[in-house]
Amino acid sequence: MKLKDKYKVALTGYAFILPTFIFLIWFMYYPVYQALSGAFTNWDGFNAPQFIGLDNFKRMMTDEVLSQSTVNALIWIAFSIILSVVPPFIVAELIFHVKKTKLQYLYRTLFVVPIVIPGIVTVLLWRLLYQGDGAINQILEMIGLGSLQKLWLGDPNIALYSIMLMGFPWISAFNMLIFYSGLQGIPQEVIEAAKLEGATGWKRVFRLDIPLSLPQFRLIIILSLIGSLQNIIPPLIMTNGGPGYSTYVPILHMYNVSTVNGEFGYGMAVALIMFLVILLFTILNMKLVKSES
Amino acid sequence: MNIYKKAKMLPVMLIALALVLSGCGGNAANNSSNTPGTTPSGNQEEASGWKGTITMYAQAYTPDAKNISGLRKDQRMLRVVADEYEKAHPGIKIEFIDEEFKDYTQTVRVKAAAGELYDIFWGQWADLNNTFPKGIAEDLTEYFKKPNPYIPGKPTWQEAMNETVVNETVSPDGKHYNINGDYVATAFFYNKDLFDKAGITEAPKSWVELIEVSKKLQDAGIVPMSQGPDYSWFQRHYLTDFYSKEFETISGYDKNPGISSLDETIAISKGLLSTTDERFMAWWPLFKQLTDTWKKDYLTSEPGIVANSAKNDFLAGKTAIIYDGSWVPNNVKDANVTFELASFNFPVLSTADSQFSTGIDASGAVGGPNGAFQFAVSTKEANATMKEEGKKEAVIDWLHFVGTPENVERIVNENGNFVPTWPGTKPNDSMSELASQASKELKAISVGGSSPNLGKNLQRVFGLYLSGNINFDKAKESVQKELDTAIKEYQTKNNTDFSQY
Repeated sequence: MKLKDKYKVALTGYAFILPTFIFLIWFMYYPVYQALSGAFTNWDGFNAPQFIGLDNFKRMMTDEVLSQSTVNALIWIAFSIILSVVPPFIVAELIFHVKKTKLQYLYRTLFVVPIVIPGIVTVLLWRLLYQGDGAINQILEMIGLGSLQKLWLGDPNIALYSIMLMGFPWISAFNMLIFYSGLQGIPQEVIEAAKLEGATGWKRVFRLDIPLSLPQFRLIIILSLIGSLQNIIPPLIMTNGGPGYSTYVPILHMYNVSTVNGEFGYGMAVALIMFLVILLFTILNMKLVKSES
Repeated sequence: MNIYKKAKMLPVMLIALALVLSGCGGNAANNSSNTPGTTPSGNQEEASGWKGTITMYAQAYTPDAKNISGLRKDQRMLRVVADEYEKAHPGIKIEFIDEEFKDYTQTVRVKAAAGELYDIFWGQWADLNNTFPKGIAEDLTEYFKKPNPYIPGKPTWQEAMNETVVNETVSPDGKHYNINGDYVATAFFYNKDLFDKAGITEAPKSWVELIEVSKKLQDAGIVPMSQGPDYSWFQRHYLTDFYSKEFETISGYDKNPGISSLDETIAISKGLLSTTDERFMAWWPLFKQLTDTWKKDYLTSEPGIVANSAKNDFLAGKTAIIYDGSWVPNNVKDANVTFELASFNFPVLSTADSQFSTGIDASGAVGGPNGAFQFAVSTKEANATMKEEGKKEAVIDWLHFVGTPENVERIVNENGNFVPTWPGTKPNDSMSELASQASKELKAISVGGSSPNLGKNLQRVFGLYLSGNINFDKAKESVQKELDTAIKEYQTKNNTDFSQY
């Protein structure tokens, strides 16, 4: 093939992917660039932004709502990682150890089917369950534990935990399938060798399954971390950050200062810091949870 | 070979398609027909020669609405008015936006930022003066001072409007951004059947009676009330009463009628509308007497978030009383409820209730010219189609047509939730009791305009106090902190020198 023809082929290839790149840059990278540059302005979302240097970042240092939001977000991240890793891994292990393949398939399907319920519906359902006269308090009353009845979303001391613990039994089908496929990927010879060495039951889980599932753990931890920092729907729909600021998180603060208060410049500054924090956590996680694969 | 050639052309075609799509995606409003016309006439639109489609978001007056909840399905008076206008102005079409917006402020901000705001949009005066970004709505003041061609005999349009409303809804810089034709009233609406069940024969007329009635309902196993305790609403009843003698002082800082955000900020900075003045929070414990009888669920919630749930509880007969706007009777009718509905006004307080009461009737302080006949015109920055030559004049001409006493009356009364306020208009008979609030002088006092989030932040503290999660001293401290932050923010944004006042 002549050089000219090679260029032609290459150019045709690039031309094919060019529209995708145009849209990618336009819809993904340009807004990010706008957000980054807007963080240094006082843009109100309509009038021309004015450059104000680091004023937004200085304001963040003294923003008490943001401080409380950050603390809430850290608690949320910790819980979210535990809940997105432990229950799905346990279920994946249990299904993986079911002897009959057909039964494995059935259990997998049963855990995956709830995916069809939209997330917003789940949130609204839980809001009803948490009401003062909702199902949770009614059940507590029925079983003689009326003294434990609470205003689950109305008490600032427990509202954050109520939102975080929504979705019992916390088995994310997506995470469960990732763990399950990881367990399936463990070579049979390794399992047999481990058996010969006496690694059965819990020993096998801790010495074989978990170490060999580290890539899956790493992926899920990163996704949970990012997901929990970006998850605005539950606090927005259930409490809008209340009572007081007890369920406020940085993403909700960013949303409210931008779209409700019209302080888009400040909202973008919060977004910029969140981006850096997520990046930092992700790098840290990649370093800490090393994997040979 | 042919196929190869076509394959080579594909990327080019895709790019071309992308560019065409991008051209279309920028501004949907540009798609409206805008063929210039030539019909000469005395009217602005015809003189401008513009022809095309005028878009209008008319909120509760949207005709033939399919997507806006709570509206009567047979409501179409605004469409009738539009048909009359279209008939008299060939080439002009009026298109009503049939959409429900969960967060209207956010919608306006986003649409304006994209240059896609509707030609005429629903905008309440306080939002236009304080909340929305400056420059999204046309200043209508000059049109107010000129005749409306559709109102014969009036030298200016303003003379056909409600003078009090026009004076008191002016912006801090003396401008008018909307035409304001209706009045919303608020009251306690109650389920008469539940009152009967609790042995209550008469609606409460005083604060003490209101508390007694609530306790009686509670004792009978009935939930008296359950809703978000709206700080921005309830504060107006008490502050309007407690500070009634200072109204002129507070409203006079900016030398304009009504209380602007500047007036409010100065009053806060001077310690008048602040916790250093005992009156400012003296009503909190008083109000807590009432909310202590409410179901606790919604006390810490943002009123807007739980508004529908609270209303559904009332319509389902789970709660006996709801404090809400004059749209409740229609909601009750739509829900086909079986109970009898009645209402009573917010009671007039006395010194026996609070030592700070001046005894004035502040029942109308929450309502006011904040209904749905509140229409503003987009600027060309907020709506790219307004750059079309002659379009602004055409839009104003349509606004002139809608904004006559006859049209205000028939549009407002057909809806039935509000009271028309322009001279010469009459409310529906069913609204006559609530309409009495509209005849009172509008001298409402409240805080919340100094910064965009002040009201929301005070609501959070209010909820925590009423639910017993913080005590009065802690609430006072938090409120003062919010007020200080708000006036600092106002000062920074507007470069205001407080010492001038």
